[in-house]
Amino acid sequence: MAEIRLERATKTFGQVHAVRELDLTIADGEFFVLLGPTGAGKTTTLRLVAGLEKLDGGRVHLGGRDVSALAPAARDVAFVFQQYALYPHYTVFDNLAFPLRSPLRRRSPQEVTRRVEEVAKLLRIESKLKNKATKLSGGEMQRVGIGRALVREPNCFLMDEPLSSLDAKLREDLRVELKHIQRDLGATILYVTHDQIEALTMADRIGVLEEGRLLQVGTPRDVYTRPASVSVARRLGSPAINLLRMDAVPGIAAPSRARNIGIRPEDVQLNGRGIEAEVEQVEHLGAESVVVLRAGEERMHALVSGGTSVQPGTAVRAELSREAMLFFDEAGQRVDA
Amino acid sequence: MAESTLTAEGSRRAQVPVGSRGRARGLSDRAVLLLFITPTLVLLLAINIFPLIWNIVLSFTNYRANQPGREIKWIGLRNYERLLGSEDIWGYLQVTAHFVCWSIFFQVLIGFSLAWLLNRQFRGHAFWTTVIVLPMMLSPAVVGTFWTYLFQPQSGIFNYIVNFFIDAGDFSMIGDVALAPWTIVIVDTWMWTPFVMLICLAGLRSIPEYIYEAAEVDGASPWRQFWTITVPMVLPFLMLAVLFRAIENFKMFDMVVELTSGGPGSTTELASINLKREAFESWKTGYSAAFATILFVTVFGAANIYVKFLNQVKKR
Repeated sequence: MAEIRLERATKTFGQVHAVRELDLTIADGEFFVLLGPTGAGKTTTLRLVAGLEKLDGGRVHLGGRDVSALAPAARDVAFVFQQYALYPHYTVFDNLAFPLRSPLRRRSPQEVTRRVEEVAKLLRIESKLKNKATKLSGGEMQRVGIGRALVREPNCFLMDEPLSSLDAKLREDLRVELKHIQRDLGATILYVTHDQIEALTMADRIGVLEEGRLLQVGTPRDVYTRPASVSVARRLGSPAINLLRMDAVPGIAAPSRARNIGIRPEDVQLNGRGIEAEVEQVEHLGAESVVVLRAGEERMHALVSGGTSVQPGTAVRAELSREAMLFFDEAGQRVDA
Repeated sequence: MAESTLTAEGSRRAQVPVGSRGRARGLSDRAVLLLFITPTLVLLLAINIFPLIWNIVLSFTNYRANQPGREIKWIGLRNYERLLGSEDIWGYLQVTAHFVCWSIFFQVLIGFSLAWLLNRQFRGHAFWTTVIVLPMMLSPAVVGTFWTYLFQPQSGIFNYIVNFFIDAGDFSMIGDVALAPWTIVIVDTWMWTPFVMLICLAGLRSIPEYIYEAAEVDGASPWRQFWTITVPMVLPFLMLAVLFRAIENFKMFDMVVELTSGGPGSTTELASINLKREAFESWKTGYSAAFATILFVTVFGAANIYVKFLNQVKKR
């Protein structure tokens, strides 16, 4: 496995700046998730590393080697596509064996068989090896897609929303498996998603991308609790962070430049203290409930335990945890107290 | 609760006489069904099925359409015996096979290559597609006629071009016994290659780009990508094009009649041309009905086997 390093990587499509002077280093053996909305430049970044797109500026290094001018095959990376991209007329075995039969890494037939069977076992598709790739379910197809990446023992794995076309249950299973496999192999993975749960659960570090720029890079905990800006804060957490004007919470010692308070719904408690609010709506999610509150002109969400007895239309008091409060300035950047 | 509603409904139904219920609801489903398919069925029977059966019946008789007063005699399999015993018939079938096989071979080869070249982004892409497709839009009879001028030994542009590259001297594509069978292949290829190209193009466009990207990352050479992705994924389309072209060329008539009218000798006399001669120049109606039946069974049988094969390829 190898380290991935992007240096001022730039890519434009006509008038659109997909990736702007991106600097990013992903350590050997790290699971790095690029998180961002549609059109943020996540996939383009991934394709730049793979060599499927040509850089308009900057460089890409893999394992300390400048690969900017190399073709995808010569970079020795593995790519997992959102749409599986299996070879439809091949069996599962032949799909998995395809990269090993490349002239670049000719292996003996015995070794191909051994590798394919090993990977198939790891992904629990060994009973499907003789099936046609198109005769599989979505989850199985993506297992084959991941397996095709695993057989090669490449420099790094690049994954473009590999779980997004699967249903919720399968997504959860594969998420856990993928993290397991990554730990076992010590693989370097650059993983692109717009799903915050995937980012939070699998990543060693998250990079939040918007309009081709990295807004913040850090551990999931870090990015969640200490977001660099309002945009980052809003990207993680469900329901989204509450943003209140300063005067909505009187008597708070805040930095002078602060214009808004950010507070996560789980840090809002309905315990009879704090600011007055009216309950607009209660959404029961099972273990937890989301209470929609209105305090003056502000609307906010509180995440409380599932057994709550608050009723819509009643008045409550909401206490906002002082330690959990975040302050943002005019431009939306976080300011520390 | 549900049960009580049901019984109430049931008793109300029982009170209404059966006839009035039918009228109240309008036509029954079956009646509507019949109403919709009857016109089609009648048309199909009148212009397809009946003539086919009538043709088969006539093939067992000595009927002559130009002698309506003559007594029609049932002669059993005599027409078929004469046909299959005649060396000429095998000659016509051979000419047909030569024409069908070679024209399809060249159309597939050139059509696929053109599609492959056109299946990329470049300036004037739409313009070139239109230009290439033009021959297909002409009438076959017109194509046959004007190619006779292009093939003129003295003034035709075809001979001029050939002589420009190799010194072939005076030769006649249409008049030469050895060249004439290739003449009709050339003209048919000129006219129908665009059709094969369009279908191949549709096939090529249906292959998602990311499969090629996956292969590229996996280290497959362009050559390997072509054979492991492009060819297998276009094959069902290509086979469909071959099927269409084969059926069309089996019954080829107008273009060849205008171009060579079966000559010189009978070197380009396709089965369909000979059939027309026997039926409407010699007026051997019963005999040609038998010939038509043989051709029909051959094409129909071959097409059916082919379609089964095609479905298997599609399932892969």
